[in-house]
Amino acid sequence: MAIFPSREWVEAVLQAAEKSEKYKEAAKDWEGDFLSIIEGDEEFVRDLSRREGMEGFISFLDMMPLEARKKYSGTPMGDVFEKKLGVPLDSPADKFSIDEMLSMVSKLSAEDLKGACTYFWSDFWHGSVRAMKPVAPGEHEDATFKLSGKYSAWKLMVSGKQDTIRLVMSNKLKLEGDMSYVMKHMKAVVALTKEVFAGVPID
Amino acid sequence: MYFEIDPKIGEDKGLSLLREETHRFAEEVIRPAARELDRMSDPEQVIAKDSPYWDVLKQMKKLGYHRIFIDQDYGGLGVNATEAHIILEELGWGSVGLTTAIGVDQIAPAVASLFAMGDVIENLVKPWVEDTEAKYHGCWGVTEPDCGSDYIMACEESFLPHVKELHPGEVRADKDGDGWVINGPKSSWISSAPTATHVGLHVTLPPHDSLANGAFCIVPLEQEGVAKGKPVDKLGLRDDPQGDISFDNVHIPDDYMLIRPPFYELRIGQIICVTSCFMGTIFTGLARAAFEEALEYSKNRVQGGKPLCEHQLVKQKLYKMFEKVESSRYYTRKIMEHVWERIYTERTFDASSRHALSAQIYGKRSAFEVAYEALQIFGGYGLTKDFLIEKLFRDARAGLIEDGTTEVLGLAAAYNIVQEC
Repeated sequence: MAIFPSREWVEAVLQAAEKSEKYKEAAKDWEGDFLSIIEGDEEFVRDLSRREGMEGFISFLDMMPLEARKKYSGTPMGDVFEKKLGVPLDSPADKFSIDEMLSMVSKLSAEDLKGACTYFWSDFWHGSVRAMKPVAPGEHEDATFKLSGKYSAWKLMVSGKQDTIRLVMSNKLKLEGDMSYVMKHMKAVVALTKEVFAGVPID
Repeated sequence: MYFEIDPKIGEDKGLSLLREETHRFAEEVIRPAARELDRMSDPEQVIAKDSPYWDVLKQMKKLGYHRIFIDQDYGGLGVNATEAHIILEELGWGSVGLTTAIGVDQIAPAVASLFAMGDVIENLVKPWVEDTEAKYHGCWGVTEPDCGSDYIMACEESFLPHVKELHPGEVRADKDGDGWVINGPKSSWISSAPTATHVGLHVTLPPHDSLANGAFCIVPLEQEGVAKGKPVDKLGLRDDPQGDISFDNVHIPDDYMLIRPPFYELRIGQIICVTSCFMGTIFTGLARAAFEEALEYSKNRVQGGKPLCEHQLVKQKLYKMFEKVESSRYYTRKIMEHVWERIYTERTFDASSRHALSAQIYGKRSAFEVAYEALQIFGGYGLTKDFLIEKLFRDARAGLIEDGTTEVLGLAAAYNIVQEC
């Protein structure tokens, strides 16, 4: 099972989208990229406290060039890593000492995570997922849609346990962009959760 | 009398049994109670504690009819569209009035079951679906003194460019701390308002300049600030107590605001699609009831030297009634299947509103036309309270107005036709 978010998860989702004829058919008319914003919460702390969780998240960040990761400096997520976990986010992968970070994660509180966000960008185009990758704060601000919410809500969506529309309508996830377009293309939105995300089990 | 022409349904033993069992309940429980309630001269008697209304409501809940439209993952009855249609046609055959009570009962929890999470599910939907003693009883608050059927039209997405031509609405919700405060009056036509514990309520939001800038919420009615009017003394559907509800600084928590902008203006019409299928189907049941009454009577009543059914003019009427009942059944069933697939199965919430509205209009109009001809066959006896057709005719006539007049619903459908076709 993959960790969300992680390099393994991103690669599995891209593969699942490529293989899914149902998704391709449902999303054949979709045009629009998403900037996704994941805000840390207590569940994020719990997952980061496990070796697999921490390694997965580091692998996710490692998909970004070091230069891009510098933009996390001074942000709440940047401060969590630099000031609380002892390693700036723009450090090379071999500088992340997992054991040391795991010992410090337990001291993190929900208050420390307030406003601490990770960003990833997905490019959906006529049934294809042309790209899915972590990005730095401030990048892709002009994305067609923005989807933001707490880590626990994101996990419910990407695990397929809750559908996107329920999460958005109960204010667990916030969706910005042309709602009329989203409503007209609900088939694509539903298929992304049901046929792609749900096909990638997460831990 | 009932003959199912779809072999997939007619030869399915499970569906046949479902229809027979529901019909038995409609015949033995709903219909006698409905006639008794209809004859009560004072509408207050209909809602009195010892009224048969409560016994029927509880029995319908024990059979799970209050869960037909609840999401299956949250306690729904687990029926599919065909099964729902079969149940509702039979219940409507028993009486549209009492069936309306179980229909409006579930609108608020059904919406919650489709869109809400957390406390609303645990503390409201779950106890509601488990309730069989009518501790929970819902109603649907839409129309207002200055916005009647046009409130329904404001729910049609293709009408949105024109919505500011309408009154901006009187029932308003404003943010109040962590929750909302509600003020304003809804009209006297709220089915089950006199008996309800909760209302699924349409409200407008600041700046309160348009019905489209609205929301749908659940409001518990047993709290300060809620005032209910007396049940209305009316022509038909007298077993469906209706009344008004007013709100004076009534508070609800934030998570009771179930559908907000932009989803309200874009998708509240999907709720109308579900209620339209419901109405079209139960009035199909009424149409069939009226036809059966007339057919039976025409075979037994001798006039002009032979049974009425031997006279050509009566045969012509019987044919036209038969055609309307049958076409109403298959049309409303097909539309129910389409709406069910888009809302409950695929979760795309893009059911065709012109089709759903037309199912409601066709069902209601057919019911009236059939009841009209059936009454004519009964002649003078049909005008007396001794015969069921007198009640069926009045109920069918009321149906042309209830839940939106057929004229305005047709107009709403026309806006959709012009935009989408």
